[in-house]
Amino acid sequence: MAHAEMTDLEATQPAPDTVQTKIQARDVRVFYGPTEAIKGVDVDILDKTVTAFIGPSGCGKSTFLRCLNRMNDTIESARVTGEILLDGGDIYDRRVDPVQLRARVGMVFQKPNPFPKSIYDNVAYGPRIHGLVANRAELDSVVEQSLRRAALWTEVKDRLDEPGTGLSGGQQQRLCIARAVATAPEVLLMDEPCSALDPIATAQVEELIDELKQSFSVVIVTHSMQQAARVSQKTAFFHLGHIVEYDDTPKIFTNPVDQRTQDYITGRFG
Amino acid sequence: MGEHIVSAFDHDLEKIEARISEMGGLAEELLAGALTSIETRDTSLAEQVTARDKKLDQMEMEIEEFATKVIALRAPMAQDLRLVIAALKICTTLERIGDLSKNIAKRAASISKLGPLPTTPSIIRMGRATQAQLSEVLSAYSGHDTKAAVAVWRKDVDIDEMYNAMFREVVTYMMEDNRMIGAGSQLLFIAKNLERIGDHTTHIAEMAYYIQEGAPLGDDRPKGEPVSPAID
Repeated sequence: MAHAEMTDLEATQPAPDTVQTKIQARDVRVFYGPTEAIKGVDVDILDKTVTAFIGPSGCGKSTFLRCLNRMNDTIESARVTGEILLDGGDIYDRRVDPVQLRARVGMVFQKPNPFPKSIYDNVAYGPRIHGLVANRAELDSVVEQSLRRAALWTEVKDRLDEPGTGLSGGQQQRLCIARAVATAPEVLLMDEPCSALDPIATAQVEELIDELKQSFSVVIVTHSMQQAARVSQKTAFFHLGHIVEYDDTPKIFTNPVDQRTQDYITGRFG
Repeated sequence: MGEHIVSAFDHDLEKIEARISEMGGLAEELLAGALTSIETRDTSLAEQVTARDKKLDQMEMEIEEFATKVIALRAPMAQDLRLVIAALKICTTLERIGDLSKNIAKRAASISKLGPLPTTPSIIRMGRATQAQLSEVLSAYSGHDTKAAVAVWRKDVDIDEMYNAMFREVVTYMMEDNRMIGAGSQLLFIAKNLERIGDHTTHIAEMAYYIQEGAPLGDDRPKGEPVSPAID
């Protein structure tokens, strides 16, 4: 029906077979020494959905994102309490190997950080160390598929031996995305993936995010409200270590419930 | 609502609201002029209404252009976005009210040649009620007063009922005296125009509500029965 088609923009619609919870966080708290940075966060992150975390600097959104693949383990003074379940399994369980976890929950950072290796080796790195491929032919195939998914293949296929660091900023970021998807993760965490990119490269990454949500759960931290509105289906607003509001993205940006959300997204003093 | 960190954004939104109020004031003036021209059979006033309507059209275009710029340059969100979207819709509605008032004025000029008509007091009464409703909804809009907007929305049924009564009255005169058919037809159109203006005020009420509440006012507005062509 024509009327039904008018209810939501294409980009804001969830993938057809979503609604399953991929990550369940309960009463998550993060302490940096004595300072409590995350003060009891509960959230369900859906599969095959882009979830945006927004909020002012220091609100805890990146800290919380880094809990989802135990990146905070690398910070000496950080301590995480509460429960984070990935497909029902506790990721902070003693038996979970953080390195294996990060193959399932990949991450892309703010600044493109390719390894000082060839384009090929950047992408091949994960599958190699995790033993995901049996031979060179399989590896070639994974590298090609990953670069294609990152919409970079046609631009680099004739110079796979050149260093990854020689690419443009936007290409480097897509290379990092290719590297992250090469281990066939289930969740992709992106911490301000476009903040160092120009608008064209940003649009390419956003198009890619839209594509990736067909297969993964994507969680993106962004300072650009426009970007959150463009790419995500769910948005969580973080403020002073809490999630103040978590709802469908169109709802957050047209009619948020909480005054603090309203003040933040409309650029008012809060 | 607090102030924006970027104060120029506040000024832009204030400007939109101010221009809508200004446009509303002019629409009200056109309607009042059209009604007075019926009452006093003043054809020159009717011509003035027609001329002033051009100004209203001009203002509509200016608001549309300005609102488009605000959307493009400031990317408003949430209540700010609703304010801009509502302004785009209200300015079109006010322009329509201007057109209907102009049409009333033209018909007033045509019936003024016929001398006083027995139905004039009823049409003026209906017109003043419509004008009051327009004025109330504009105050509700500029005062961000959701309650007042809902009150206007609910009471438009009164105008509908006046229209039905007017319809019966005019048709009765036309049946009694076929020399009344020409003037009566004009009066029926005038009454219909007023009834339409009443409906437009409810749309402005809906927009005023939407800006504040972020939800539609609903579609179960009380309405008068459609007028039956059969006259008892």
